[in-house]
Amino acid sequence: MTTQVAAEVRARAGAGLGAAAGGGMGGQDYRTVFLNEPQPFKYCSNAICTAKYRYKLLFFLPMFLFEQFRRYANIFFLIIALLQQIPGVSPTGRYTTLVPLICILVVSAIKEIAEDIKRHRADDELNKREIEVLKDGQWQWIKWRHIQVGDIVKVRNNKFFPADLVLLASSEPQALCYVETANLDGETNLKIRQGLPQTSHLLEARDLMSLSGKVECEAPNRFLYQFTGNLKETSRPTVPLCPDQVLLRGAKLQNTNWVFGLVIYTGHETKLMKNSATSAPLKRSTVDRQTNNLIILLFFLLIVLCLIMAVCNSQWPAELHWYLSLDDLSVFNFGINFITFIILFNNLIPISLQVTLEVVRFIQAGFINNDINMLYEENNIWAMARTSNLNEELGMVKYVLSDKTGTLTCNIMEFKRCSVGGNVYSMSDGSVQDLIVLVESGGPGSDMARQFLIMLAVCHTVIPDRDEGRPDSAIKYHAASPDERALVEGAQKLGFVFETRTPDCVVVDVLGTKERYEVLNVLEFTSARKRMSVIVKTPDGQIKLYCKGADTVIYERLGDSQQFRDVIVRHLEDFAGEGLRTLCYATADISQEFYDKWKNIYHKASTALQFREKKLEDAAQLIENNLTLLGATAIEDKLQDEVPETIASLLKAGIHVWVLTGDKQETAINIGHSCHLLNQGMPLIILNTDSLDETRDTINRHVVEFGEQLKRENEAALIIDGKTLIYALTPDLRKDFLDLCISCKSVICCRVSPSQKAEVVELLTRETGSVTLAIGDGANDVAMIQKANVGVGIAGLEGLQAACASDYAIGQFRFLARLLFVHGAWNYSRLCKVILYSFYKNICLYVIELWWAAMSGWSGQVLFERWSIAMYNVLFTAAPPLVMGIFDRSCSAETRMKYPELYRESQSGSHFNWKVFLWWVWLALVHSVLVFVLPYFSMTQDVAWGHGRVGGYLMVGNMVYTYVVITVCLKAGLETDAWTWVTHLAIWGSIASWFIFLLVYSNFWPVLPMAPDMAGIYLQVYSSPVFWFGVILIPLSCLLLDVTTKTMQNSVRKSLTEQVRESEISNKDVSKVLDTKHRLSETARLLKNVFRRTTTRVNLEVELAHGYAFSQEEHGVMGQSEVIRFYDTTQPKPGGM
Amino acid sequence: MSAQDLPNDQSKAKQSKFNQKFKQQRLPAWQPILTADTVLPAFFLIGLLFVPLGAALLFFSHSVQEMELDYTDCKSVEAGVSMPCSEVIRKSNFTAECTCQVNFTITEPFKKTVYLYYGLDNFYQNHRRYVKSRDDNQLLGKDITSPSNDCNPFGMSDGKIYAPCGAIANSMFNDSLTLYDAGKDEKLKLIKTDIAWPSDRKIKFNNPPGKLNDSEAFKNTIKPPYWTKNVWELSDDPSNNGYKNEDLIVWMRSAAFPTFRKLYGKIDHSMIGFKFGFPKGRYYLEVQYRYPVDSFGGRKRMILSTTSFLGGKNNFLGIAYITVGCICLLLGIIFLIIHIKFGKRAVDQLNINQNTPYSD
Repeated sequence: MTTQVAAEVRARAGAGLGAAAGGGMGGQDYRTVFLNEPQPFKYCSNAICTAKYRYKLLFFLPMFLFEQFRRYANIFFLIIALLQQIPGVSPTGRYTTLVPLICILVVSAIKEIAEDIKRHRADDELNKREIEVLKDGQWQWIKWRHIQVGDIVKVRNNKFFPADLVLLASSEPQALCYVETANLDGETNLKIRQGLPQTSHLLEARDLMSLSGKVECEAPNRFLYQFTGNLKETSRPTVPLCPDQVLLRGAKLQNTNWVFGLVIYTGHETKLMKNSATSAPLKRSTVDRQTNNLIILLFFLLIVLCLIMAVCNSQWPAELHWYLSLDDLSVFNFGINFITFIILFNNLIPISLQVTLEVVRFIQAGFINNDINMLYEENNIWAMARTSNLNEELGMVKYVLSDKTGTLTCNIMEFKRCSVGGNVYSMSDGSVQDLIVLVESGGPGSDMARQFLIMLAVCHTVIPDRDEGRPDSAIKYHAASPDERALVEGAQKLGFVFETRTPDCVVVDVLGTKERYEVLNVLEFTSARKRMSVIVKTPDGQIKLYCKGADTVIYERLGDSQQFRDVIVRHLEDFAGEGLRTLCYATADISQEFYDKWKNIYHKASTALQFREKKLEDAAQLIENNLTLLGATAIEDKLQDEVPETIASLLKAGIHVWVLTGDKQETAINIGHSCHLLNQGMPLIILNTDSLDETRDTINRHVVEFGEQLKRENEAALIIDGKTLIYALTPDLRKDFLDLCISCKSVICCRVSPSQKAEVVELLTRETGSVTLAIGDGANDVAMIQKANVGVGIAGLEGLQAACASDYAIGQFRFLARLLFVHGAWNYSRLCKVILYSFYKNICLYVIELWWAAMSGWSGQVLFERWSIAMYNVLFTAAPPLVMGIFDRSCSAETRMKYPELYRESQSGSHFNWKVFLWWVWLALVHSVLVFVLPYFSMTQDVAWGHGRVGGYLMVGNMVYTYVVITVCLKAGLETDAWTWVTHLAIWGSIASWFIFLLVYSNFWPVLPMAPDMAGIYLQVYSSPVFWFGVILIPLSCLLLDVTTKTMQNSVRKSLTEQVRESEISNKDVSKVLDTKHRLSETARLLKNVFRRTTTRVNLEVELAHGYAFSQEEHGVMGQSEVIRFYDTTQPKPGGM
Repeated sequence: MSAQDLPNDQSKAKQSKFNQKFKQQRLPAWQPILTADTVLPAFFLIGLLFVPLGAALLFFSHSVQEMELDYTDCKSVEAGVSMPCSEVIRKSNFTAECTCQVNFTITEPFKKTVYLYYGLDNFYQNHRRYVKSRDDNQLLGKDITSPSNDCNPFGMSDGKIYAPCGAIANSMFNDSLTLYDAGKDEKLKLIKTDIAWPSDRKIKFNNPPGKLNDSEAFKNTIKPPYWTKNVWELSDDPSNNGYKNEDLIVWMRSAAFPTFRKLYGKIDHSMIGFKFGFPKGRYYLEVQYRYPVDSFGGRKRMILSTTSFLGGKNNFLGIAYITVGCICLLLGIIFLIIHIKFGKRAVDQLNINQNTPYSD
């Protein structure tokens, strides 16, 4: 970790100089903020902008055009449009490509603008939040975006910091405050920040106004945990500022009524924004990339076709045909012909595809935005597609990488159960009341129960807070550890109310009587000790040690003959099985003499200059001994609604779910259990190593163990921590590491930094080529969300950071299932159809020109009238693909939600690959041959009327064109699974539109100066019986092949989706079709046993099995044992006016 | 008031209902299933309809009587010249005229209106440079100062506009075909009007105002280089002259394929003996041979044909209908077998698939 950070620091140091020049003192590496004075420099505004086109109109056009012409297709059409301007070259006039191209660009531009406006609005919401700022000695509410460097702001409890601040003073003693950084780094526990003693007395506006001097700090950078600065008050010594005084934008004030802060970094210069400053990358879906490849393929095909045409043309003996008089035209050469043919065939690459896709995607995004089933009613948050380019990618997701805190869990801990005296008492079924009854009855075991509950109320570092105005109001508990708060609240519900904390004692209301416990010592929690203890003097003068912690460490320290030892282990296993976080409780009576002796040792240890921590640990070891087991508690890290169900369906759909969290391993594993990602008995591969070599050995060992099962899905889970991940992601190990990961059903990475999350996502995306989806809610997930193929943000009431960086924002994790299974699968199948169909319809029409060329001397003459073909993609066949992309659906949404297996079909990309594409091309060729050859043979006699007149080439051309339009429209119908009335309208309407167009268009000449060759053609076409017999025969014989193959497939080898669809339509029970048997293969079962045997870390296993978890900040600005000594909750707090 | 509001509200409610269904993607839909049992009836129905329909079309096609005569290599009738007319005109560098005669016999009398067509083979009227080489404004009778560029190289010559301009007009078929009754040595009358499409005659082709001569309507024009006559000398009938000449109009509608026929005239059935068609007997065709086709290996034909309501003789459509009908019937039978074989076992098959271990 350190080496990496150091490297980053070095890298930044170089860039820092340049950045500082723009943002601070000319060329210097730090900035100076003057207190209560106007700033000499203008700093970045606090308004943030995450939109794509930041500077609105000015740069829109060039940026937009640049984006658009990154698509090969658009460049191609631009070139065609330019070539058409050369006189005498184009067989289809000058504007037949330019006009559609401009239409397409305009539609795209409108879409882009509409989407960008949405982003601007989201930013605006943030920028328009209000905050109190000290101005002219008064607190004034202003908008976030107006905050400037040097302002002093007042932030209230549960509010976000609007910019990066230096903490000056707070409502708590010693300028302490708690901040929740879950949004920044994903950690659940609160962190303590403390202002400098020099400023902690500034508790009122008046005091703040008197402040003068300056703050020097480093230039803005992106390191969340680094900060150096100085406070230089006028005529006072300089004091250093460190990260403990910094409150970062994105974090939230907790358990503190208010703080005063000095703004030092604003807007895009805040550390949060520096971390996500990289603008949202342009993401392209797999289907989009494939389409681009197909377009290149078609382009080469086009070149080949044109070369063939040009060669044939040059070989054709034009000079013999005197009536053509070609010898007089010297311009007629190979090159010009080649260009002519390119213009003739350019629409093999469907020009309408882009615009059709844009429109379809836009409306699909609308469906996502308006889906009432994805409305989080509690907060009135609708799902939002922030980009529509990835709609179909949602149907192909293979890996879901999820954040934990705020995404899977609500970040709310709740006391659920406890085990005392051999019984389990549960909050949810009310059996906990029995416990109170037991205590009150005073019968056997009541003493133990009472001690246990007293311990819950005493053994912690929580600070109670009561609204001064109303002494009867409910007590709020402030705790650095959410677990402890849950425990104390639990005790409160059981009638053991923790009421008051003074520097040396706590008061507990035990079932109505107040008892005072003197806190002698607090032995702090560390993750190495896995326990915390308090030594108290009970009201009757006894000295007691209360110790709570992981079962492994508690059990090691128990005295002999513990009555409930085994029962509690069993209970712990039960709790852990449900994913609850467990803690064990034990107590010990301490004699006065022993305590006095120990106190000295402890005091020495706590003042030792060397190895203080180790010595303190040893001292604690001495007294935490010979304990008596009291019981155990189970806390629920509350999951969001329907998370386990959603994860279960994701797994059923063949999606791998990985959890990447900044939180601790135990916590992550607990959550893994509670959301059924892990289950009891599932072998866990745990990678916890300290060096590269060790990591390599472990990974290799596991790779060997997997043997043949490597890279297949096994019933196993891999758990790795951030430190090991650094080694595992080194270039020589990452391949094996990834192999190991994809061999497991689920992977949990804990204690990972935001950049590591992104690295994992990137590795997975790049190496497997599978589609990854990252979901998260906090700013620490932004990097991962941007790196993944699809980024989904949870849009909460607060912290829009992730949602703003995401491609799709949803209100709750559970909506992910609907987003993928319904919208993703539908959009994927729709879009695939639209793309394939667009290729098909163009190939079908334009290849006819090739057959016809063989009969027109390879001259490049168009069989159809020029504007008729120009309108082909715009009018006659525009609606069917649109409607297909918007209204088609196979299987109802309910069925898709109920049977996630259906997702596998779109996930494997089976609707759109080379095979499918070639099949469609083949169909297009067959159709084009039939649709040309059949009219050719039926018109060889030239006379198709009873009156003996003959038709011209446009008679045949329009006949063929009619058949093409009908065939192609009906083909769209054939591919449509669900015909709504709009579908009917589109298909029959498109056909009708051609008939009407022909009628109208052939009456243009000579009233309008266009289409002289079409004059009166409608009479010829519509009066010919041959034409009408062809209308029946030709489309039917073309589609005979399609219908037959489709029917064959459906009758003999039916796909799962098709089966479900059929049984759904015929109202049969769908579940019969789907086999729900467990698909654990025999090898996987064997493997399970292998892991059982070879797992070496027995202790860890036991702990995991028992679900121990506890989170509290370690090595913070101040230890918890010290913090509690500052508080006297009997004293009123300053109001901060 | 309320009576007026009510339908408004209703339509609003209706609209919002649609809106809701649309937004929630719940529009009612017909969902066709394509399996053997569902398509079976359709296939049989199509088969049973198409086969008789095809037979009927074949019947109509057979009812059309047709006689074709290739006169490309016919010999000159002039005494002393015993070579084909094509060679005669080539030797004269296409200035001489050559007359030739071809005998033919009608064994079965034609029973309906008989049309006389000329047919050309290997003639690419559909060539890109050729098709566009015309000026529709000129043919519309507009007073144009210069013809369209498309007409080049037959646009203008020495400041005079070719009338009509362009390669199509320049290469107009100019053989004269006359039929004689060999027995009576009598010329058969041909109707040369109403052979072009009425829309073309009435809308597309108009003469410039004024008398049809080089001083008024066609002033400042010149005849196309390959023409022997001026455009106002094409016919004696003033309503069939100039740009409105029906032979010109017929020629100007480019044919679709390199083998094509064009209507030359209709047999005048008011002649004695021709009232009910074309009586059997011996005839001969006299050709004023001017049009060269041998340079590109083309052929020229004279065709006498009646029509059915479907037009000329062409068996293809009937055969196609019968073929498609048969294919449908065959497929219908195949689907029937498939349905019997697979229809009920679908579920069993499925379970076998599902039980096989998952591996991908």
